Amino acid sequence: MTSYISLPSYLNTIDQRYRLIGKKCKSCGTVNFPPRVMCIECGGRDFEDIKLSGRGKIHAFTIISRGSAPSEFDDQQNMTGEFGVAVIELEEGPRIIGQLTDCDPNPEKIRIGTEVRATVRKLYEQEGVIRYGYKFTPV
Amino acid sequence: MAGIVGYGVYVPKYRIKAEEYIKAWGNFAADGVKEKSVVGCDEDVVTMAIEASNNAIKSAGIDPKNINTVYLATTSAPYAEKPSSVTVAAAIGAEGDVRTADFTTSTKAGTAALLACLERVKSDDSGRCGLIVASDAPAAAPDSSLEHALGGAAAAFIIGKKNIIATIDKSYSLSMETLGERFRKRDEPYIRDLELRVQHLQNAITATIKNLQKSLNLEPKDFAYVVVQQPDGRAAARIAGKLGFSKKQLSTGNLAEYTGDVGAASTLLSLAAVLESAKHGEKILLASYGSGSDAICITVGAPLAAPKIEIKEYLQNKEYIDYVKYLKLKKVLSTFRT
Repeated sequence: MTSYISLPSYLNTIDQRYRLIGKKCKSCGTVNFPPRVMCIECGGRDFEDIKLSGRGKIHAFTIISRGSAPSEFDDQQNMTGEFGVAVIELEEGPRIIGQLTDCDPNPEKIRIGTEVRATVRKLYEQEGVIRYGYKFTPV
Repeated sequence: MAGIVGYGVYVPKYRIKAEEYIKAWGNFAADGVKEKSVVGCDEDVVTMAIEASNNAIKSAGIDPKNINTVYLATTSAPYAEKPSSVTVAAAIGAEGDVRTADFTTSTKAGTAALLACLERVKSDDSGRCGLIVASDAPAAAPDSSLEHALGGAAAAFIIGKKNIIATIDKSYSLSMETLGERFRKRDEPYIRDLELRVQHLQNAITATIKNLQKSLNLEPKDFAYVVVQQPDGRAAARIAGKLGFSKKQLSTGNLAEYTGDVGAASTLLSLAAVLESAKHGEKILLASYGSGSDAICITVGAPLAAPKIEIKEYLQNKEYIDYVKYLKLKKVLSTFRT
């Protein structure tokens, strides 16, 4: 039996998905998240683990309307309506994409610069396996 | 000597008021519950446990690598097989040489896990800490009156030997066979209760509290606070009153009025609320229930130095929803199956 999305590769990224563990480049100090083989800034290959705080600001965001989410988010969207997806600039520097949760994705409430924090939530469920990972919620 | 060195809670943001049930069904069956917490669509027992655990770790000011025990207490784990405690351990950064266990199938699981964690840390000479987190969101059929009270929340405690803020002095446990009271068979999604009007809750808690008081040579007036299992907003007050405790002793730890019945997390969420207000030297008496009872005497020591998110903040940060949204968040209206 095979799985629809690679579970082994998901498992390999558990530390980043559950705990926001990034890689800090030993030559230039740039924090890479998600971890990369080569530093995004200087191309260095030597890193140390760094646990990111999960705090940051909305750099850009969009609202995913009904019918435009990937199929694994169908049920969530049916039950909660439209939801926000944002590029978050973390206080350590990296910009990462995540869903917004516990907030109405109304542009009156969510703005560029809104402060958020990371929280582990259920992302989706497939073949009986619950995929947990970070989302962001306004502070 | 081992005791509580830090604690943290989590209460989901959504709330539903009793009035919403009255609009939908014509009545609200949860005595004394004004509103209750509702677990979001993307939350479950595991995600709530992670939030509460991270808050507890911050309040204790410890490195999660210093945790060698993760016990999770719940009646509503997402998997019937596959331990949720392991997911929590991975998410807080306590993976590896860690003892994990899920305590379940009873609303008494919270205190059972707390006592097991205390005994584990006491008998362990590694100098590392234990984490016990009670996280629960029990579910019942939407057309049953049992469903009305059910909410969701989590409370976590770090047990250690250094910088103890509260000691767990003594406990008394009782096992009581019950039939037709709050049960859920394998493969069933919802708890059931035959509402046989038995007095198990009152009898078990009365027995454990009286026995514990006797063994400690203490009386109700010697405790600053009392915490009793809260299947609704009134039962704890009724039982504590009969045992000679005042409203003042009970009110700080009687949270079901605002959270509903949070199952295995009930007494430990209340304990966290009490610890936030308790002063040095004050004693807390706590009694859980679920086919038996654990009564525990706790003495408060030094206050916490590290900042923590208070339960007050969680109770104030809320968004009210109507009954249809409630059904959607609970996925009662969802036909999606994986």
